[in-house]
Amino acid sequence: MEATAKSHFTGKEEHAPAKPSFAFWRPTAKTGLMSWLTTVDHKKIGFLYGSFALFFFLVGGCEALLIRLQLIVPNNTLLTAPQYNTMFTMHGTTMIFLAVMPLGAAFFNFIMPLQIGARDVAFPRLNAFSLWTFVAGAIILNVGWFLPDGAPDAGWFGYAPLTSKLYNPTHATDFWILGLQLLGVASIAAALNFIVTIINLRAPGMTMMRLPVFTWMTLITSFLIILSFPAITIALVEVMFDRQFGTNFFEVSNGGMPILWQHLFWIFGHPEVYILILPAMGIVSEILPTFARKPLFGYPIVVFSGASIGFLGFTVWSHHMFTTGMGTVATAAFSLATMTIAVPTGVKIFNWIGTLWGGHLKMRTPMMFALGFIWMFMIGGFSGVMHSAAPADAQQQDSYFVVAHFHYVLIGGSIFALLGGIHYWFPLMFGRRVSEFWGKLSFWVIFIGFNVTFFPMHFLGLNGMPRRTFTYDGNMGWNVGNMIATIGALILGTGIAIYFAVIIYTYLKGEKAGRDTWDARTLEWSVPTNPPPEYNFAVIPTVHARDAFWYEKHHQSEIEQEKAAQHQAEAAHGGIHMPFQSIYPLVASIGALIGAFGAIYHNLIVALIGGSLLFIGIYLWSLEGAEGYHLHPDEDGHDDAPAPKH
Amino acid sequence: MTSHAANGAIDHHHDHTTSTGIPNKKLLMWAFLASDCMFFGTLISTHLIYRLHPPPGNPVPRQIFDIPLTSFSTFILLMSSLMMALAVNAIQKGNLKSMRFSLLATIVCGAIFLGCQVFEFNNFVFEKHMTITNSILGTTFFTLTGTHGTHVAIGVLWLGLMYVRSFKPATGGQPWTTTLLHVVALVAAVLLSMKVVLSVIWALEAHGLSGATLGGVVGAQWLAIVGTVIAIGAERWFARPAGPVQFDQSNAIDVESMGLYWHFVDIVWIVIFTAVYLLEYL
Amino acid sequence: MSDSAHSPATAGHVAEESKFAAYVQIAMLLAVITGVEIAVIGLPFATWLLVTVLVVLSVVKFMFVIFYFMHLRWDKLFCTILFFIGLILAGGTMWALLKLFGAEASVPLSVAVNTVADLSRLV
Repeated sequence: MEATAKSHFTGKEEHAPAKPSFAFWRPTAKTGLMSWLTTVDHKKIGFLYGSFALFFFLVGGCEALLIRLQLIVPNNTLLTAPQYNTMFTMHGTTMIFLAVMPLGAAFFNFIMPLQIGARDVAFPRLNAFSLWTFVAGAIILNVGWFLPDGAPDAGWFGYAPLTSKLYNPTHATDFWILGLQLLGVASIAAALNFIVTIINLRAPGMTMMRLPVFTWMTLITSFLIILSFPAITIALVEVMFDRQFGTNFFEVSNGGMPILWQHLFWIFGHPEVYILILPAMGIVSEILPTFARKPLFGYPIVVFSGASIGFLGFTVWSHHMFTTGMGTVATAAFSLATMTIAVPTGVKIFNWIGTLWGGHLKMRTPMMFALGFIWMFMIGGFSGVMHSAAPADAQQQDSYFVVAHFHYVLIGGSIFALLGGIHYWFPLMFGRRVSEFWGKLSFWVIFIGFNVTFFPMHFLGLNGMPRRTFTYDGNMGWNVGNMIATIGALILGTGIAIYFAVIIYTYLKGEKAGRDTWDARTLEWSVPTNPPPEYNFAVIPTVHARDAFWYEKHHQSEIEQEKAAQHQAEAAHGGIHMPFQSIYPLVASIGALIGAFGAIYHNLIVALIGGSLLFIGIYLWSLEGAEGYHLHPDEDGHDDAPAPKH
Repeated sequence: MTSHAANGAIDHHHDHTTSTGIPNKKLLMWAFLASDCMFFGTLISTHLIYRLHPPPGNPVPRQIFDIPLTSFSTFILLMSSLMMALAVNAIQKGNLKSMRFSLLATIVCGAIFLGCQVFEFNNFVFEKHMTITNSILGTTFFTLTGTHGTHVAIGVLWLGLMYVRSFKPATGGQPWTTTLLHVVALVAAVLLSMKVVLSVIWALEAHGLSGATLGGVVGAQWLAIVGTVIAIGAERWFARPAGPVQFDQSNAIDVESMGLYWHFVDIVWIVIFTAVYLLEYL
Repeated sequence: MSDSAHSPATAGHVAEESKFAAYVQIAMLLAVITGVEIAVIGLPFATWLLVTVLVVLSVVKFMFVIFYFMHLRWDKLFCTILFFIGLILAGGTMWALLKLFGAEASVPLSVAVNTVADLSRLV
């Protein structure tokens, strides 16, 4: 992250001007460890989210490779059955909560405020709290690897009564429960922040129907997070009480119903899969218009279909439970509701095709990933519609067909778009740009590896191969399919390795990228420098059209005058307000981490220490107040002593 | 922010520095409450689902619940909502004294509600023999009302911190220990007086009203009684008039956000009172 | 804001004057409704009617608190929309869950077995 930290304007600005009148320590470091631990800058926080997410993406990927290696031949003994359980549990949990969600959050943080013409999110310190609580949750979830109890192994869905003390006496499941609980707190806090930011911090003229589609999807995803996570919070509290205090929520002998867990889990779980895919749809909706050189086709329709996908996501949870015997009416109703979702999703696909149609396509790496997304996501969508028919689903339930389906939508969908998004915004984030040859090579290897891995799983599933079994006999007719899938997984792993190597090389030594590398359309590219200065916009832009930056580029004289006027107005109000850094969000998150350990080990003293630290952190955070200092760059983002422009 | 200085008066329902005119904190709180609707919705659903088909041997709520007591605490919580609304109204007009009084009244109401809950739980566990582990009704009932009670307790703590915050001197330079001691005095006053009042009630229940009963309570609880008096005295001492403070109309948004939380806890109770208690009597 | 015909500052000012009295009256009304609720449960009417009455009374209390005590009435419409998104979704989810678990297929075995036993005893 040298690039952001070293950008030319830092170190020259006046920081921490007047000492505040009260005795609070306000950290001022702009470089080094303290600057990262106390940062409230949405770009640094986004970068940290992204780094942690990519790290866990690799961890989850290694777990997946172990799973595939175990299944390469029948009766393999690479992993034992319990180890295999741990692998698929941690693979799912890691990829969903520690890789794809935070990678989405990284883009929300870094890109969304820039897209709406804001200088930060609405609550910068709350943002830091979200980040560090996410890290705390990740630690709790993974700490079992290093402890005798082992990592969680009851599945990412944690079905009762698998999670009961009877079947899971060690603390492994407690790590899973408390880890997810902390991740939920982090996600809800972040999502509340994004909602307020998008609703309240838009630049003048940025009406809701001028918001870039990625920002719209951020908003919808944030709503899904705040409305779905409470359900799993309650479900986790219930299972935690069952384990810790001997309550009866899922204890059959005392009148509990394990099926209730499935309902509560999927009330959260289904919106959750849209939390994973909607940011991806937003990214693709940014990449396609840029490289097709024309505006997004049917913008309002894309926005409204995104919103209706979000809403319908709350009405279909029981389609994960068609085989549990809910009764005819419920099954038919959820079947119908599920089919309805295909409509707004299909509408989006057609809008993307409409955007491409007649466009002047520029086949750059991000565009390759976006096109791959459309195709692969469609295949995943088709098998999804097959599941929506309850009788068909009864055959496919718990088979590898389902595994094929959700990997097509999560890798072919979410991951393709997120990897494409990294390529797309890399020049903006770091001022360097990925080599086209190596970028495209990594795309093709990933694309081929992905399809070789997961396409055969459709056939394996229809031939009856069940999920979550650690091995199979050689006479089931599954040998060839599994062999191909594992070879594909190795190719996919190679592709990901190339991708990361290229990204790291580019970060260190890549070709310097100029401002507005792709000749893009949205406001994030209008910042004065790459990477963006810490105050984002030297002058808050005034928005006149949907593709705001495109309009600016075609109305330069008008914009110049407007900026000059706006600059004067801001200068008259004391310059650019920047929030002080703060250590207290980190303190509060550490308190949450310690408290969670106390809860896991049923240790009241440790829990109280953690709880007190959390309370002290939040209290001091509110007492220190939201003060800040002021910067005075000129209109082009230069300080008084102008730095060379590149 | 600039509009405040220019207009002189503060418009409490609109903030001209945001795109929608709604202050950020208020928007945050409403979004959080929308989220909390799902939170309590799920929890209440769990309770009601287990009431649909009670397993054999489940306790019968009618034989356990004490409607007069619950009605009283419902009434108290409604009154706390009134006091909270008056506190917001007062600080929006800049009436600091009235706001402090209303906040204290809200805290007292909240403490009474919590006291009723302690009494109720105690009664259910020791008299009616319904615990959180021995039946599904106990599990869902204690979890639901306990979670609500935790929300009330957090609300009381927040109210207390805001109340203490309103004494921060305008000149600055107040040592943080003063603030801390004020908080400690307030919390001690609330907890100790709850303890004393509950002991008196339990004693009256057990032995009826007589001089000997009261004497017995005083004998057993003299430490708590002395502590209560000292804590209240200390709180009053910290709350003595001492020059101008850093708390005025511009802080109204903080009080209002806290108020939104408090009222929400109240409306959750309105739902619980009907869904969990009253419906059992039909 | 200030150039709209009906300046919110002035309108708000008028409202502030009478707010104190309004708040007290609403609190009294809420207390009375609570009393009515408690009285209703003892009445010898059909259960569905009593349930309806209780639900309606609770909703009335709920609405008074959110629109008056919580100021939704005087705030921007967006606050109301925001809260109602959560409220309606939570209500819908609760309704669906209760329907699901109320369905015949969802009666737990322990309860169903008992019912069958009771029936066979009757026969």
